[in-house]
Amino acid sequence: MTVFANIQKGRYMDSLETLFAASLLNEQEGVSLGFVGMATPAFQKELEQAGMLTEEIRQCTGSDTVVAAQCRDQAAFDAALAALNSHSTADAPRQTEESFVSTRAAVEKHPEANLCSIAVPGEYALSEVRKALNLGLHCVVFSNNVPLEDERAMKELAREKGLLCMGPDCGVANINGAALVLSSINNRGPFGICGASGTGIQHVAAILHEAGTGVSQTIGTGGNDLKDQVGGITMLMGIDALEADPETRYIALISRKPGQKVLDKILDRVRRCRKPVVALLMGCERQVVESAGAVWAENLDDCALKCLELVGIRYPLATEEQLAQLAQEQVGKLSKGQKYLRGLYSGGTYMDEAAGALVPRVGRVWSNCPLDLAWKLEDSYCSRENSCVDYGEEEFTLGRPHPAIDPSIRKPAILREAADPEVAVMLLDFILTPPGHPDPAGYLLEDIRLAQQMAENEGRHIIFIASVLGTTADLQDLRQQQQKLEQAGVIVCQTNYRAAVLAGAIIRLKKERDADEL
Amino acid sequence: MTIQQRVDAANQKVAQMLTQGRPVWVDVQPAGQVIPGMTSHTILVPGPPIEIGRITPPIRTSVCGAVIHEGLAQTPAQAWEMVERGEILIRSSQDYGAANAACMVTSASMPVIVVEDKTYGGRGYAPLHPGPNPKCLRWGLYDEEVEQDLRWFRDVYGPALGQAVRLAGGIDVITVLAKTAGMGDENHNRQPAASMYLALQLIPWLLQIQSPKKDRVITHLAANDRFFLHVMMAGVESITQSCKQVPLSTVMVGMGGNGVEFGIQMAGTGNRWYTTQAPKIQGTFLKAGITEADIVGYLGDSCVTEVYGLGGMSAIAGPAYMRLTGSDYAEARSRTQKARTVSLAEHTFAPVPWENYAGFPVGVDARKVVGCNVLPISHGGSALRAGGQAGAGAAELPLECFKEALRGIAAQARRIQAEEEAK
Amino acid sequence: MNCDKILDLFRSELVTVNVGPRLFATALEKQGYAAIQVDWKPAAGGDAEMIEILELLGGLD
Repeated sequence: MTVFANIQKGRYMDSLETLFAASLLNEQEGVSLGFVGMATPAFQKELEQAGMLTEEIRQCTGSDTVVAAQCRDQAAFDAALAALNSHSTADAPRQTEESFVSTRAAVEKHPEANLCSIAVPGEYALSEVRKALNLGLHCVVFSNNVPLEDERAMKELAREKGLLCMGPDCGVANINGAALVLSSINNRGPFGICGASGTGIQHVAAILHEAGTGVSQTIGTGGNDLKDQVGGITMLMGIDALEADPETRYIALISRKPGQKVLDKILDRVRRCRKPVVALLMGCERQVVESAGAVWAENLDDCALKCLELVGIRYPLATEEQLAQLAQEQVGKLSKGQKYLRGLYSGGTYMDEAAGALVPRVGRVWSNCPLDLAWKLEDSYCSRENSCVDYGEEEFTLGRPHPAIDPSIRKPAILREAADPEVAVMLLDFILTPPGHPDPAGYLLEDIRLAQQMAENEGRHIIFIASVLGTTADLQDLRQQQQKLEQAGVIVCQTNYRAAVLAGAIIRLKKERDADEL
Repeated sequence: MTIQQRVDAANQKVAQMLTQGRPVWVDVQPAGQVIPGMTSHTILVPGPPIEIGRITPPIRTSVCGAVIHEGLAQTPAQAWEMVERGEILIRSSQDYGAANAACMVTSASMPVIVVEDKTYGGRGYAPLHPGPNPKCLRWGLYDEEVEQDLRWFRDVYGPALGQAVRLAGGIDVITVLAKTAGMGDENHNRQPAASMYLALQLIPWLLQIQSPKKDRVITHLAANDRFFLHVMMAGVESITQSCKQVPLSTVMVGMGGNGVEFGIQMAGTGNRWYTTQAPKIQGTFLKAGITEADIVGYLGDSCVTEVYGLGGMSAIAGPAYMRLTGSDYAEARSRTQKARTVSLAEHTFAPVPWENYAGFPVGVDARKVVGCNVLPISHGGSALRAGGQAGAGAAELPLECFKEALRGIAAQARRIQAEEEAK
Repeated sequence: MNCDKILDLFRSELVTVNVGPRLFATALEKQGYAAIQVDWKPAAGGDAEMIEILELLGGLD
């Protein structure tokens, strides 16, 4: 070991700087012992004790900075010096990202805040929502697994205060043009949507956007709002607000089947509503909805189309006939043993919608959350016959983000399902949202290509069918995502329902052809 | 009033004391003459009370040094025997309104800074800062050279400073902080500006005192850019003496480490300590080759500055210190932000220009620490097991102390409730 | 129902306090909306004894 020194005459370094530099110096490779300091008598004494006081350093004064080190060689010392210098230049103060430990602290500093977005474990949701409401903030609550009594309590408090409580379990809300939680970015327009299905709202709003109109506000109530235990508090407040909002000219309501007491209240409110209402209340008789003066919608696609009719926009979605034609073209590409479809979904609403379209066409559809309990998959990783798996289910997402944010949960399934020689069709959904994966389609392309390659090596062809939920305003851009998929040979349908209808048509057609061949 | 309202009211009262208290350095006197309860055989040590057998090596060195300095023993071995026999009373400084930084201990003849809170009347004490020589009792080192320094402090330096301060009619500590606001001191581990301003206030009076060595006194004072720390510590103690009389308050009014345990005191329960294992200072070591195994746990009372909102609490006021801890500006902001989160009040006399002229937070509420799960951070130096300063950095105040403190105040609250119901 | 506060929200510039993963705050900022981050942790680390004490003494923020 040799002593190397670097002297900077007349360069002042604060003692804190020199201590910091010395600790950095001693971390450098090839440095066994290092000192940095102003060459004061005390510092020189320290060097002397370490046997490192060279004549050169002895000549220095307290206004000179000295870097001295026992080093393997000159190269090591030079590298160490470079490290010190780069550190002192690169270390300009960086801006810190402001954060707070409580909503109260945040609001104290930012009294202009008007909304609170809450995504905490369900057991803590009520307490956080209470804090936000008591601070006068409207809430959008992404948390799920919130007990119904907690949900009711937070919504009653919100109602008492005249504040919106969207959720819990609210995945979609667009307020003042902002896409909250897992919403898509939408154009503003005359439609106010209030719904208990996040995907449903996002779906209808996306079609309105693509058709050239848009939404004033969308209010997600959370999936349980219309249960009798909760009482539809948010839905009713949402209708009131949208009716009073001058920007909203038409109202769309979306929900799975409400509890009976809540349904009566909602219908009564719709009856009194001064603005036109399109209602998709799944599982409710058409005539019940229409008797309340609302426009009845059969499903999500229909809900969007009925809205568009109100403003005189015709938005052509593929018809059954067109899809049947496409199925005819595709089915010929399948080889003999291929007969089943596999749906890999990132959301429950879409999987249910798909299953609803598939069952009449192909019979039972196995699933981790099937339409009929008898069709429950024993193992969600082990599909059979026609299967659809919701990768947004808790068994996959516990402790992990939603598949729209982290699509890695679903990724391995593509090659796994494609390896099954009986698989003919794979159905995929993609969801675009600002916090989501920046390129969800691109993320799966390589697996789709590999799967197709693998199948073709074995003399098969797999038909990939996908739909993308989102808009051209989304950061990922709907059009670009669709194009990426199409370029990889994926058939991209306009909507999830249509993708499922096409898949069902192909499977049914294939079954008929196989039967004919026998 | 509900318990919660009473706790809130008690805390408001304490917060007001912390912000309205007016510490003024009034004198320097031998500890035994001014600290109530101090005897010729009392030695005040930093941190919470500790059994003799668990006293950490550098404190043991300092205690023995103090015993010898007082002429009660000739050798460290003799001194320690006296301690073990109970002839020397080892006491926690903060229970006496005093504060000892690092490994410092205070014995009867040692000169202490006397600070009086002109608003609430409390008095606080701390020994004089020894100056830049790293070999000192304050870092658990004692030999003939250190003894000479202690004598010089006792016979010349302390009395001279006392004269000057009395001539000056006292020196207002708040003014020092206010005048040096924006000069980069966080005032626990870095206070060159405050020390300089204080020296400016003092030197004209030092020139007028009757002392054969006043040029040396002035030179020694002017060479010490950490002098203000101990004045500040005495200042904090002067205020917390009043705070400790407010039952039910969950505001932290004392804290310190003895190298083994770290403890805090609540305004509501006065001198009762809530302790846990002492954390180690995380930061930078002064010399290569020192490892964490070489240092003792958190040691010293200097962190009473954090009780007053300084040091780690106002890290943003002294971002240069962050470099020493191997940290950065963003972390300084984060430390002060955490402090704001758990504090009840703000000092407005020393605004931080680069924090949009915000003041610094003061009055840590144990309820907030536990409730928000946010730990305030104290700056501090670390001591070598063998004596001497190891390094400097910071430590999170242990959550367990605050939990224990809340148990203590909750028990007090329940007792008060029960007593009132009995009536 | 009185919708004044909700209509106020609809008329105001949206400023969101985000309690939970920063991802959602970043997503709003990407869209050009102000977001204020709260790094949420369970009160008292979920310590039931402490929560009970804090209910007595106050201070659950």
